[in-house]
Amino acid sequence: MRALVPAERYTGASVRRVEDERLLTGRGTYVADVRLPGMLHAAFCRSPLPHARIVAVHTESARLAPGVVAVFDGAQMAQMASPVASLIESSPSGGKVSFGILAVDKARLVGDPVALVVAESRALAEDACELIQVDYEELAPVVTVEQALDPNLPAIFEELGGNRLFGPETKVFGNVDGAFARADRVVRASIHQHRHQNVPMEGRAILASFDPSSGQLLVRASTQGVNTTRRMLAEQLRMPLDRLRVVAEDVGGSFGLKFGASREEVACCAASRALGRPVRWIEDRWENLTVSGQAREESFEVEAAVTAGGLILALRVQMVIDSGAYPGFAPLVVDTVREMMPGPYRLEALAFTSSGVVTNKASYVAYRGPWAAETFVRERMVDLVAQELGISAMEVRLRNLATRDEAPLRMVTGPSLAGITARDSLLRAAEMVDLASLQEHQRQLREEGRYLGVGFATYIEPAPGPRQEGGEENTERVRVELDREGSLLVHTAQMPHGQGHRTTLAQVAADEFGMRLGQVRVMVGDTQRTPEGFGTGGSRFAAMAGGAALHGARRLRGKVLEAAAQILDLAPAELDISHGELVGPGVPGGRLPLAELVRRIELAARSGQLPPGTDADLTATEDFDGGQSGWSGGTHCCVVEVDPDTGLVRILRYLVVEDCGDLINPAVVDGQIRGGVAQGVGAVLLERSAYDPQGQYLSATLMDYLLPTSLDIPHIEIEHLIPVRLDPDVNFRGVGEGGMIAAPPTICNAIADAISPFGAKVLEQHLPPARIVELIGAISA
Amino acid sequence: MLSWLLKLPPFAYRAPESLEEGLELLAAGDGEARVLAGGQSLIPMLALRLARPSLLVDLRRVPGLAEVKEDGAGLRIGALTTELVAERDPLVRARSPLLLEALDFIGHPAIRSRGTVVGSLCHADPAAELPAAALVLGAELTARSLGRGSRTIPARDFFLGPFTTALEFDEVVTEVRVPAAPPAEGTCFLEVSRRPGDFAMVGVAAAVTREGDRVVDLRLALTGVGDRPRLLTLDELGLEGRASSEGLFSEAGRSVGARLRPPEDLHASATYRRHLSTVLTERALRTAFGRADIRGGAAGA
Amino acid sequence: MLEPEVGQGALLSIRLQVNGEEREGEVEGRTTLADFLRDQLGLTGTHLGCEHGVCGACTVLLDSLPTRSCLVLAASADGCRVETVEGLARDGRLSRLQQAMWDSHSFQCGFCTPGFLIQAAALLAENPTPTEAEVRHALSGNLCRCTGYESIVRGVLAAAEGRELAGEGSK
Repeated sequence: MRALVPAERYTGASVRRVEDERLLTGRGTYVADVRLPGMLHAAFCRSPLPHARIVAVHTESARLAPGVVAVFDGAQMAQMASPVASLIESSPSGGKVSFGILAVDKARLVGDPVALVVAESRALAEDACELIQVDYEELAPVVTVEQALDPNLPAIFEELGGNRLFGPETKVFGNVDGAFARADRVVRASIHQHRHQNVPMEGRAILASFDPSSGQLLVRASTQGVNTTRRMLAEQLRMPLDRLRVVAEDVGGSFGLKFGASREEVACCAASRALGRPVRWIEDRWENLTVSGQAREESFEVEAAVTAGGLILALRVQMVIDSGAYPGFAPLVVDTVREMMPGPYRLEALAFTSSGVVTNKASYVAYRGPWAAETFVRERMVDLVAQELGISAMEVRLRNLATRDEAPLRMVTGPSLAGITARDSLLRAAEMVDLASLQEHQRQLREEGRYLGVGFATYIEPAPGPRQEGGEENTERVRVELDREGSLLVHTAQMPHGQGHRTTLAQVAADEFGMRLGQVRVMVGDTQRTPEGFGTGGSRFAAMAGGAALHGARRLRGKVLEAAAQILDLAPAELDISHGELVGPGVPGGRLPLAELVRRIELAARSGQLPPGTDADLTATEDFDGGQSGWSGGTHCCVVEVDPDTGLVRILRYLVVEDCGDLINPAVVDGQIRGGVAQGVGAVLLERSAYDPQGQYLSATLMDYLLPTSLDIPHIEIEHLIPVRLDPDVNFRGVGEGGMIAAPPTICNAIADAISPFGAKVLEQHLPPARIVELIGAISA
Repeated sequence: MLSWLLKLPPFAYRAPESLEEGLELLAAGDGEARVLAGGQSLIPMLALRLARPSLLVDLRRVPGLAEVKEDGAGLRIGALTTELVAERDPLVRARSPLLLEALDFIGHPAIRSRGTVVGSLCHADPAAELPAAALVLGAELTARSLGRGSRTIPARDFFLGPFTTALEFDEVVTEVRVPAAPPAEGTCFLEVSRRPGDFAMVGVAAAVTREGDRVVDLRLALTGVGDRPRLLTLDELGLEGRASSEGLFSEAGRSVGARLRPPEDLHASATYRRHLSTVLTERALRTAFGRADIRGGAAGA
Repeated sequence: MLEPEVGQGALLSIRLQVNGEEREGEVEGRTTLADFLRDQLGLTGTHLGCEHGVCGACTVLLDSLPTRSCLVLAASADGCRVETVEGLARDGRLSRLQQAMWDSHSFQCGFCTPGFLIQAAALLAENPTPTEAEVRHALSGNLCRCTGYESIVRGVLAAAEGRELAGEGSK
């Protein structure tokens, strides 16, 4: 029996965020806002060269500089913290790679940390950095994939015997050769996704404070998960986990960047331990843009076996990923790209070959929807197939998208497609934009020399994906606790950095338990009490943490009602919790505050008044795998006008039709979608992590790495589809990544459509005005 | 490579109460001292350690430098006049639509609130808007030093190269004079940048004087396409004596494009910059021509 | 010749009014207003997002004008009035702008928030009824990586209209 009627539920309402009052009054606490007594400031001396042997590091003058407390070079740091060891299983050469926390023998990218200066202020630490002299022996830089595969260029890691990191490795699904044999035509394209990057407004940051008397290291971190950060720090610092506590308060964005512990962060912890004083490092914007990590640089050779009628039977795809200098995330990405390649399409076969290289550029990191290349490549290919066959892209999509009722609804790579609404989203988007009249308008404008374009992209996103039968158990844990003040505490390993989890998880738990929102506190970011779990990522929050909170609150509510029934000598069914009070006809006075109830349960338990078997522990720990519904997805549509003389693109309309299941907080959902689309607009029109042929980084300031502004991002219309509810309870799904996954192909398809009268073919994702004028043919490339 | 250090390097700081005191400090600084006005160009250069002065002489307390005045010869804009004050100044709005249009392209509100008109000219960024506008407007800068007193430098002699001007190390520009626009002149400032508020990939300042459908005078300056903006006239474009405006503007565009050797950077190739110069020159001239009053007397934007 | 006490690293005394209070400090010539506010006055609401004048997170009002505090020397602000995000709420009550931003779900991670609030406050002080285009123009020098700006623009427009949005969070 539930007292709350749907209209009173928090879930589904755009409840104001509990975190905002603090943030709006300047009372947020980011790492840079914390000052501890005796705190020192770190700055790194960094390599100006992309590839060089380090012959000697002269730190004497820096040590004597005003305010300097210590200087550590790579060799010293190697005594203080273990090198990072990386094993790439699919590597042809064994794939064992290890590298120092600070560069020891070799600098492998511009900005590689060579020495750490710790001083009384950041400015003094920076002054001292300038006094460090490093003798380098320059090596030929490896900047491109072609150079990485050139055996005449030096290996970035000698132990790899070259610069191929892994692959080529081919996996085949379905009868690829048969499909190509049946095809009327093979459409081929080389498609490139350019290097761009996360750029959270707050860069990386750490404040490490070692207490020599207790041997405890307290770390304040800007991270997506305190447990992962603690585990990685413990490993590198060779410290037992229980000596390390990692705390995170406000985190100024991340988008995949802030996982675990970076080399600089390990170095600061090691320095704090060595000096017995707090050491803080706040990454500056140059460091953030140059060395924190970059993403997305992948190229694809694609062959599509198609019928004259526009059916896409099979794909052959060869993917090469540029992992940058230090291997880490890149090998993991290719697996998801491969699995997601068919998307919501009825593809019957796929051959997928992947390989990766190392280069003297920033290391590849996760960036919002890291596997997004599958959607970019597939949705661009769909339009190219349409162009080549002379039928409309809409027609090709509709002929190939899986329908809801066909069976077996499954990607050729394995995962079930049950519950997807991709096709519905495409039809609705076409209707909203009134495609027929729009195309008529486009024809008229072309006669006036104006170039309008419309583009679509349809996608699905594992958020967190369907339950994998027989697969590894993948769950998220939430611990729910009723405290003595009668507040409901919801402990999660999720680490909000803009998503508003402190609000949305409270909404779910409040509804399920029967609380007012203000009586629920979501507890995050402290390894002393945070339950296990790696943190925020992979669109796990809504379905997995949301579901765990729902089931946890439900179970705890049952326990509380059971104990209350014993105390009041009533049946549990006669009781309810509503607005944070125990209510029921048999309750004295009709209602009992929960704080009072907790006190009486504790008292009864202590004095042995509860019958055996009654659980008086007012906590519940729940692990949840996300339930039956695992896909988010939808269709984006963009209308642009291109000025063929200047190459400038104006976005006239942008709309999103999407399905992320039941919405916990629509305003939060819409914010995630719009933020993702904005990053996609940036990727296509503005953002590029550019290197010159010598491996120098060109986009090291925000005057060169161009983030979109309020004048670059249009109004984004959003419509939510009614989802297919496959789970009895939990039909929330993640929504953080889809905007960024679908926007780049949507915008590229729109631009390609606009400039198609010039015979232009778009095979890349980055389309700045200069490139558009080249594609049009007004200037040579 | 730019420095990865973003805290400012150390320097001494003085805020003199008079111009003379400031000139003394500059003279004593022996080339290692820099003048600080709004700081919107200088401070970022310090942060990126592209400049390493030993002393900054902040003009903020020097009286009388923040005014916009008008005399018989035109506008006089003092060294501390911010871009924000200039763009809101009734005299600027009434007398110099080209300056106004150029100011609108500069940065963002929180930059224009401190950045100064004279500071932008003295900074001489090859992609900045105001130097090109100053050339087309025939502006003159008044420079003062301790030993040599005051001198006037026409804008066309002022810009020598990237971030390099005719100013000596001990000189301060106290004001820029913008002559009154001739009657029957129309102007236009146009640019293409990656984002609104960014430096131009290519910008064009144009002024056209017409008699009926005839172009009798034409002045152009482009920004972002070389080491400094240069003034181009009908003569220099080889178009003197051309009577009708039709065809003239596209020819001027082609002529401009053909003579440029623009730089290349990550935002635009040299080829694209040359192409844009042609496109924008034609557009700016056409607009300026349309704005010029056939009967004489300046028409605004 | 320079007097020795004004050489590099020498401390300069400054006095300025911050959020209505007289404050004093000793700064180096190179200390920016942003670092002074954060490190010496403890006003950490003003954030540093780039330290080269592009992101706008450090925007404060300097003598009523929006200004990037990373591009102003603390010494140059001597004798000036400074208002920071901490000064927007009065007597524990959010300003109308802050309230409207809250109601509009304007922000996500919160890092860019102080700069946007100050820039928007400056806009509304001068133009109490801006159009959407004017709001977008005025805010175009402030970078937000989370929101795509729409929620921020709506927040400013809501504040301008004095519109009360339904805020279920208060129940």
